[in-house]
Amino acid sequence: MNKRIVLFLNLCLLAMVAVAQDNTSLVNGKEKKDMPASVSRPLQVFTLFGGGFSNQLDTYLSPMEYTGYQLSFLTGRERMTHWADGHISFQSLLQGAFSHTKNPARTATAWGGRLAYDAGWHYHWNLTDKFSLKAGGLVGADLGFLYISRNSNNPAQGRLGIDISASAGGSYRFKIRKLPVQVKYQADLPLMGCMFSPQFGQSYYDISQGSRNHNVCFSHPGNALCFRQLLTFDLEFNRASLRFGYMGDIRQSHVNSIRMHDLNHSFMIGYVRYLKVIKRNER
Amino acid sequence: MKDKLLLLLVLVTGLCSCQKGESDYDDSPQANLDALWTIIDQRYCFLEYKEKELGFSWADIHAKYSARLNPKMSRTQLFEVLCHMLGELKDGHVNISTSLDLGRNWSWKDDYPQNLDESLRDEYLQTDYNLASGLKYRILPDNIAYVVYESFQDAIGEGNLDDMFLSLRMCNGMILDIRSNGGGNLDNVEKLASHFTNEKVLVGYRSHKTGTGHNDFSPLEAEYISPNKGVRWQKPCVVLTNRSCYSAANTFVRDMKEMPVVTIMGDYTGGGSGLPFSSEIPIGWSVRFSASPSYDAQKQQIEFGIAPDIPCSLDTEKAKQGIDSMIEEARAFMGIKN
Repeated sequence: MNKRIVLFLNLCLLAMVAVAQDNTSLVNGKEKKDMPASVSRPLQVFTLFGGGFSNQLDTYLSPMEYTGYQLSFLTGRERMTHWADGHISFQSLLQGAFSHTKNPARTATAWGGRLAYDAGWHYHWNLTDKFSLKAGGLVGADLGFLYISRNSNNPAQGRLGIDISASAGGSYRFKIRKLPVQVKYQADLPLMGCMFSPQFGQSYYDISQGSRNHNVCFSHPGNALCFRQLLTFDLEFNRASLRFGYMGDIRQSHVNSIRMHDLNHSFMIGYVRYLKVIKRNER
Repeated sequence: MKDKLLLLLVLVTGLCSCQKGESDYDDSPQANLDALWTIIDQRYCFLEYKEKELGFSWADIHAKYSARLNPKMSRTQLFEVLCHMLGELKDGHVNISTSLDLGRNWSWKDDYPQNLDESLRDEYLQTDYNLASGLKYRILPDNIAYVVYESFQDAIGEGNLDDMFLSLRMCNGMILDIRSNGGGNLDNVEKLASHFTNEKVLVGYRSHKTGTGHNDFSPLEAEYISPNKGVRWQKPCVVLTNRSCYSAANTFVRDMKEMPVVTIMGDYTGGGSGLPFSSEIPIGWSVRFSASPSYDAQKQQIEFGIAPDIPCSLDTEKAKQGIDSMIEEARAFMGIKN
């Protein structure tokens, strides 16, 4: 419960910061004068790999929390659009994770995997030359599994869902000696969606035989409070940036009397490239 | 400056929100008993039925076995107490599995005559029987096909079945001996049973738990066997059973009972009509329990077994002379039928 309150406060604070700011021009407005419109909107492509801790619970498989490690990747693209005077960006994210966890007594192993795709838009407020905030929404799809090898007719749980998320974040530029550094933060909170879940004692054999009542559930923060945040530091070099940081990913649900959580904390490292997109008629 | 402080606050609270999930891990004997009791209380699908049939109260069981615990007891002692507690359910699908032992209550077969002498069965099969995946078969001298299927765990393919039925097509009847078949894969049950009907047959119903309450069940869903597209058996068939026909074998007998050409002979089956699920308790031991029940075509419980159409048992005196009286009775019955 405390966790939920902290999450809620966190989002409120983000919203307060966003609303309190007035709209100013984009940081890269200077480039606009000399270059074609599409070139002034570089495409930011990043790929991060990470490792960290994973904590899994799925009462369909076991009442015990499984803990262990996780390997993950996050790749994405972000580009300012020409909408709203260039204040709106498009972002797409593909996230993958593979976890290996054990029960508290260390007598059983669970293997988990997850693939999630999100895409959406953010409105940007450039508060100063160095500091900007953004807020928007993402539409996402989520596919995953958790497998415990020693279980009999319930060896695995599949996960499938789609959702619409609120997303907010900010960035701040500064220098360490002469090296430009950018710190970025983004938090995504699914607001509504639908997800697959077997019923409390329903086997996948039953589902395969055509028993499919209440297997698609409406999800919202009341029954599936999920949250993803990414805090990164970009060390900016000429053509690319080295990016490292923290990704926290909390997936939870309580539907059909089955409780599930998938809590992950990862250290991420990778690179960011800024590509100039030149359209044929702008050469 | 104010903005920066606010942002910093956002970041810090955000990171704090990603605390590890609350863990209520407690490995004490009482915690393990509580966890096991709760799994059965919330997830076991025959609790009300067993309370009524066996005359116990699951609520009282908690107090009864908690009194046998002490904080310093060894793992072996704890295992013993927990096994006894689960033994009250008299369910072969309920087990505790440890690296040392498998906690079980096999009274469903141990308390009854076995009605099978495997060496005798081997004499009927002889050594030159045909073997198609898990199916052993040969033609007996009176032109009766004798088929033995020892476990539904043994995969059988459609090709195996078609070839077997084709090669036995000239026989006057078939004895399908599934005595001591302890179950296995339900797909194999459906596959084999589908060769004994020309029409879609209602064979039973199934349900599953929808919540933690003792009566939280989904509506009964009808289960049908559709005729196989391959070779279908049209002549009399006797299925031989004993108390060790359990789980998927019990389901097979339920299904075959509805087939027009089939007669069930032998002893009651062992039962085990709940599809087992797994869970675990804090000490790390795996727990298996019946999670979703199935019923016969009359919506009756078959957890404690299915009665044969024609009861018969193994005559031990004749067995000493190399005669399996159950097979012989089946042969005689087939002779009458023909």
